[in-house]
Amino acid sequence: MPNVVYFSEEALLAGIRREDETAVAYLYKQHYPMVLHFVLSNNGTEEEAKDIYQEAVILFIEKIREETLELNCLIKTYLYSVCRRLWLKRLAFKSRFGGAVSESDTFVDVADDVVEYEEREASFTKMAEALVLVGEPCKTLLEDFYMQDLSMQEITEKFGYTNADNAKNQKYKCLLRLKKLFFNLYKSEVEHE
Amino acid sequence: MKELEAFKQIERFYNNQLNPEELAQFKLLLKSDPDFAEYYRQYQQLDGTLRFYSRRKALKEQLTSIHHELETSPESAPATDRKVITPFGDKQKRKIFWNQHYATIAVAASVAILTVFGTLMSIDVWRSMGKQQNARYTALRREVEKIKNSQRAIAKGISGVANSGAARPIPANFSGTGFAISSDGYLVTSYHVVKDADSVFIENQNGQRYKVKNIYRDQAHDLAILKIDDAGFSSFGSLPYSFKSDLSDLGERVYTLGFPREDMVFGEGSVSSKTGFEGDTTSYQISIPLNPGNSGGPLLDNQGNLIGVISGQQLDQQGASFAVKSAYLKQLVDQLSQDSLDSPIKLSKRNYLAGASRPEQLKKIKDYVFIIKVYNN
Repeated sequence: MPNVVYFSEEALLAGIRREDETAVAYLYKQHYPMVLHFVLSNNGTEEEAKDIYQEAVILFIEKIREETLELNCLIKTYLYSVCRRLWLKRLAFKSRFGGAVSESDTFVDVADDVVEYEEREASFTKMAEALVLVGEPCKTLLEDFYMQDLSMQEITEKFGYTNADNAKNQKYKCLLRLKKLFFNLYKSEVEHE
Repeated sequence: MKELEAFKQIERFYNNQLNPEELAQFKLLLKSDPDFAEYYRQYQQLDGTLRFYSRRKALKEQLTSIHHELETSPESAPATDRKVITPFGDKQKRKIFWNQHYATIAVAASVAILTVFGTLMSIDVWRSMGKQQNARYTALRREVEKIKNSQRAIAKGISGVANSGAARPIPANFSGTGFAISSDGYLVTSYHVVKDADSVFIENQNGQRYKVKNIYRDQAHDLAILKIDDAGFSSFGSLPYSFKSDLSDLGERVYTLGFPREDMVFGEGSVSSKTGFEGDTTSYQISIPLNPGNSGGPLLDNQGNLIGVISGQQLDQQGASFAVKSAYLKQLVDQLSQDSLDSPIKLSKRNYLAGASRPEQLKKIKDYVFIIKVYNN
């Protein structure tokens, strides 16, 4: 349970913007039961509810942090709408129940947001694949640099390079390899379609 | 190596590590060298995607840990952790099963219900069809319309109790026709007209209204003899028609008077068979169009002899009506005179109608034909 209770939605949004972990946890826990209920009552499982809900929360938090979301309704309504949309897509994919759901709440139109999210999710998957393909030690090096925000000096020490320039050169080589793999994946994707 | 150098340069540009000279050179290169521009674009995309990738990955990990926390702390996830063991297996699974198949189950159930009731109904219809086959014969007593009843009740209600008074006749439940057979107050009608009667009144065209007390019934021949029991009644005088004991011939012109409605209605036809419904030898088949209310009416021939009493009609056949032969009426009267009555009924023997034209005949008869009003509760 979060120590801070967020009394208003504005406070919660502000907390999410400044990357407050308790705010995220609070948001996540507050609305999960609703989505769980929705998915369970529409031929879904708990596992699927979790997937759907996490996607929706990621979409929401990213858009809030990038300030690209103009929220005209309750957070709850927005999350429900996204989950509903995602779930409808999944049902249509399963194509067994024709994509009709029993509504348990009001919803707003989030079609564009979801499409955008899916495009980004695709590039996310590509990047993950490319990172696997680029292999060690490049993967760790790049992850350290981009995700852990380690400085070149720290990386030099960690990987045992003689100096920072060496490490930098290694990083560029890795980046180039990653670039090649990443754009190849993109290309093969286009050819597939 | 050109690519590597370019990347170095671009990254320095991004980190604002270029001095003004290099910056100018960089911008010039970006404009003049298409390869370099392409590297720049690729770097942008790659760098952006990598940063986005790392952010989202971090967020995903965070959410997963939050979810894990949610699942492990029992009080915050009441819906997910509570598994009740029941003799019917997992409730959650049953629920999902039901959600997935309820449409099919509903359809199956409705089909089953429809089939059951459809079968029952068709069996019922089949049976009632069989019944109809047997009951093609219908008796012609009139059931006074319920609408009329209720309308009168409403009218009565409007005009008020005091205004309506006791003199206004209450509409009868059933009505039929009857006619006098002797001057001292005996009448005949069909048995089915007075079948369940509580009280019976008779009324003729002139508005003479009498109460009937004794009723002698002959169910076998569908006949009933009525006796007027009314202080206002003295005698009918001599009746204009006589009673025929012989059989009438086929094709003989016959007519009847009756009360299928409040007014007297004349009907004419001929004797079409010497036997009645399904070969019944006690009655004639006649070709007079009849309606409910005609039952018990007199059937007379051209000479004004009474040859029968109207009784009923065949439903599925056009214009097949039936009348009980007068011989059986005579037989009934004889038996009654012997067994039940103090003084015998004297059937009129003289006929004042022979040779008269039809309208003349009717004028003479009409006072002796009554509407029989039957009340029961």
